[in-house]
Amino acid sequence: MSDGALATPFRARAEAALRDPFLQEALTIATTKFITLRREAFAEFPEGEALRDRARAIKEATLQHLDQYLEQLITSIEARGGHVHYATTAAEARTIIVDLARRAGARTVVKSKSMATEEIDLNEALIHAGITPVETDLGEYIIQLAGERPSHIIAPAIHKTKGQVAELFTRELGRAVPADPEELTRVARAELREKFLQAEMGITGANFAVADTGTIVLVTNEGNGRMVTSLPRVHVAVMGVEKVVPSMSDLVVFLAILAKSATGQKLSAYTTLVQGPRPAGELEGPEEFHLVLLDNGRIDQIGGPLRESLACLRCGACLNVCPVYRQIGGHAYGYTYPGPIGILLTAMQHGPESVKDLAHASSLCGACAEACPVRIDIPRMLIELRRQVDERRIAPREERLIFRGLAATLTRPAWYRLGAPFARLLQRPFVRGRMIRRLPLFLGRWTHTRDLPAVASRTFTERWPELSREATPR
Amino acid sequence: MTPPLRAALMITCLGDVFYPEVGVSIVRLLRRLGVAVDFPAGQTCCGLPLFNSGYHREAAAVARRTAALFRDADHVVVPSGSCAWMVKHEYPGLLPDEPARTQVRALASRTYELSQFLVHVLGRTEFTGATRSRVTYHDSCHLLRGLHEAQTPRMILQRLAGVELVELPGSDECCGFGGSFSVRLPEVSTAILDKKLANIEATGADCVVACDAGCLMQIGGGLSRRGSRVRAVHLAELLDTGERAS
Amino acid sequence: MTTKAEFLARLRHGMPQGQGSLAAEVADRPAHPAEAVEVIRRQLSERWPETLARFQTEFERVAGVFHRVPTAAEVPDVVGRLARERQARRLIAWHPEALGADWSAALTAEGLTVELMPRGEIDDEPTRPALRRRIAEADLGLTGADLAVAETGSLVLIAGRGRPRSTSLLPPCHVAVFGRSALVESLAQVSAFFEAWHSDAAPEWKGGVINVITGPSRTADIELTLIRGVHGPQELHAIFVEADAPTATGRHG
Repeated sequence: MSDGALATPFRARAEAALRDPFLQEALTIATTKFITLRREAFAEFPEGEALRDRARAIKEATLQHLDQYLEQLITSIEARGGHVHYATTAAEARTIIVDLARRAGARTVVKSKSMATEEIDLNEALIHAGITPVETDLGEYIIQLAGERPSHIIAPAIHKTKGQVAELFTRELGRAVPADPEELTRVARAELREKFLQAEMGITGANFAVADTGTIVLVTNEGNGRMVTSLPRVHVAVMGVEKVVPSMSDLVVFLAILAKSATGQKLSAYTTLVQGPRPAGELEGPEEFHLVLLDNGRIDQIGGPLRESLACLRCGACLNVCPVYRQIGGHAYGYTYPGPIGILLTAMQHGPESVKDLAHASSLCGACAEACPVRIDIPRMLIELRRQVDERRIAPREERLIFRGLAATLTRPAWYRLGAPFARLLQRPFVRGRMIRRLPLFLGRWTHTRDLPAVASRTFTERWPELSREATPR
Repeated sequence: MTPPLRAALMITCLGDVFYPEVGVSIVRLLRRLGVAVDFPAGQTCCGLPLFNSGYHREAAAVARRTAALFRDADHVVVPSGSCAWMVKHEYPGLLPDEPARTQVRALASRTYELSQFLVHVLGRTEFTGATRSRVTYHDSCHLLRGLHEAQTPRMILQRLAGVELVELPGSDECCGFGGSFSVRLPEVSTAILDKKLANIEATGADCVVACDAGCLMQIGGGLSRRGSRVRAVHLAELLDTGERAS
Repeated sequence: MTTKAEFLARLRHGMPQGQGSLAAEVADRPAHPAEAVEVIRRQLSERWPETLARFQTEFERVAGVFHRVPTAAEVPDVVGRLARERQARRLIAWHPEALGADWSAALTAEGLTVELMPRGEIDDEPTRPALRRRIAEADLGLTGADLAVAETGSLVLIAGRGRPRSTSLLPPCHVAVFGRSALVESLAQVSAFFEAWHSDAAPEWKGGVINVITGPSRTADIELTLIRGVHGPQELHAIFVEADAPTATGRHG
């Protein structure tokens, strides 16, 4: 994410998002629609629950032998004439890809939507090297024109209204375009068709890679994924190491649930199984195929507390149900991946310090874990991140004092017993009827928008003696 | 004569301090149903606020103390789904050393949120209440997703004489409390709450029922601030006929 | 730069011994994929009318347009009609060996300019880019289909000699012809085909890409409004040929 955004504290970024009426409306419409589509898809898919368990079991089994499966994948790809590159860091990945682009003599590269390339800030690096990256996924194309980053894992421009898109196209393309999605799409189609045909290199991500066969799998809807992997001379796929699956039989388990979780479709319009460079005798296809395997914090988590998040299919279902995401949208999070899984991925890539505020951007309601097709227990890991933030003294000193004070009171009944009378004394100036409408200092954060019940004139513990006498022994 | 069923009430910190009348209603209700109610002395908190904010060493100390207080209970009844969840799901992991671990596992299996106790242990779904109202029900997150319970409160409310239950749209959506979340990110918490309040008021209900003190504080606090005529009540309050056991 | 050895060493180092207690199990794989596929085909050969009916329902659900003709000879009639309705003139098609039929003459008689895709690769320079231009300007793309999946209404197309990727991608209208031997019921069965196509006994037409096509190209990126025909075809048509004649698609898998 841009450093400029991170200079503002998270709470302020969230507040700004809440005050943006366009964003609020866009978020409500989009997330509600996604939720409905997913629910309907699984409602008519009774095998879905069992498949989710199976998918999770496959991810776990793969992780337990990840080295073997990756080795197998590498061998399979190289057997078909493809090349594999190894990127431990984001910087390394950028260097590898820019290098490949230079060697390919690429002036333009066309890109199919890839969160992995967003993660490593690839576009900036290409531009810096004098190479023009062209985003071809409609949502990515829109935000590229706007100079923004994606605000949702699968629908990058979901925060924009059609009016905003029309304004953008008119400004950037130098001709008036009406605020009609059909028209806007036609414009994008025409603009990008030429780019597909001219670009020397295509860059994609990969939803899966099949170890047994060396197949890279792209799940898309627009057709740009197919263009990017068929028309340019060189195809580069960037993929996190955790995306490998053992066999075609495993792949199909994931295909059966991925699109349903993301958009409610049984399958996306195009599931493309790329077998490497063009075999001899075929008219079309890239001459060169390169897979860039990306670590960027993943390998450290295989044996780490965020291990479960390596099962993520990047479907976005958790974003759509998250009460926080639904209110603040993706940009407020400040990093490449927003929403519940985004907090975990950010910690994976940038360390626990990076999420000292984001780890608390959750009411721990559990809707994410419920929606996740591979049943990732996101709340558990958010609590673990909070623990790390506390353990490493990243949390502010005042906060730690408050909680330690609370802990001390809760383990000393004598202190605790004094708590209620003390609170009753302090609250007296503020109580109206049974409610408190205003409190000073930190507690004002509650009373700014909500009343608070007054501490009872007698706690339950204080009433128990007479209550216990009510029960008449027989 | 068979000895009466015994249950120990875990009042919870929020219940003790802010909603003691809920505890009173529960005690009277259980006694009317023939349950002998104990109240182990010295209760403070289940430790969830510490746990959720990542202070696990401290949460473990509180958990150890609280678990010890309920060691001899046949059944533990909890008015809040979140506290029941804490005991059942997190206590074993927080106290891995023996003999505590075995003890808390046993405790976990004997701990129930109130509506679950009424329906699954006492086998009761029909109650008389003291109110004639239109009510709607909010699923608190830990009861719904932590304890996987959407039915027991609804079963009781549906059969409660004098009460008309209307389904709350988005009943399974969070109210925005989330413990410290409500004051760490008060603007977001309030925005989430506003959505919940709009749904509640749209049902035309006289009151919204929840089985969690945190939700009641958040929802009740919001309703009160906007001067709504809708009340936020705990399930136990609707089941309180005002009678004492005799 | 990280070498393969360093990368894998780091990976092994990061993998804990004695893994977690969560269930871990890979999918079952057919021990003999080619045989498994044969069994599927035998089982389905009786049921093809139901499978076809289900395919049609699902295909139409994803905005595919379904047509049915008694024999291969009627295919050009359908294509000709589609072309006239769209005032389309230029058609590209898979090579006849890949299609299992040569409809060039009949299509030309329908008023279309027909270009068959070459059987192999094209090496020389002006020819290839010129061909690509013509492909990019075609109105209709005519292909076969290796599988028609009833569960999802999908068509599976393997690229290869004489059956390039662009035929089903660049023209705004894609027409796929298939017969009963392409019909399968479920994704689970598709996985058996995927296994078989990649096993050692794979036939020589195995190509550089397999596309599972489920409806025309689409997006909902602007306000979640569904729009068809973004980069790929705006229309997808499937012509089912009833007559049980051996076709190129029947040979595959």
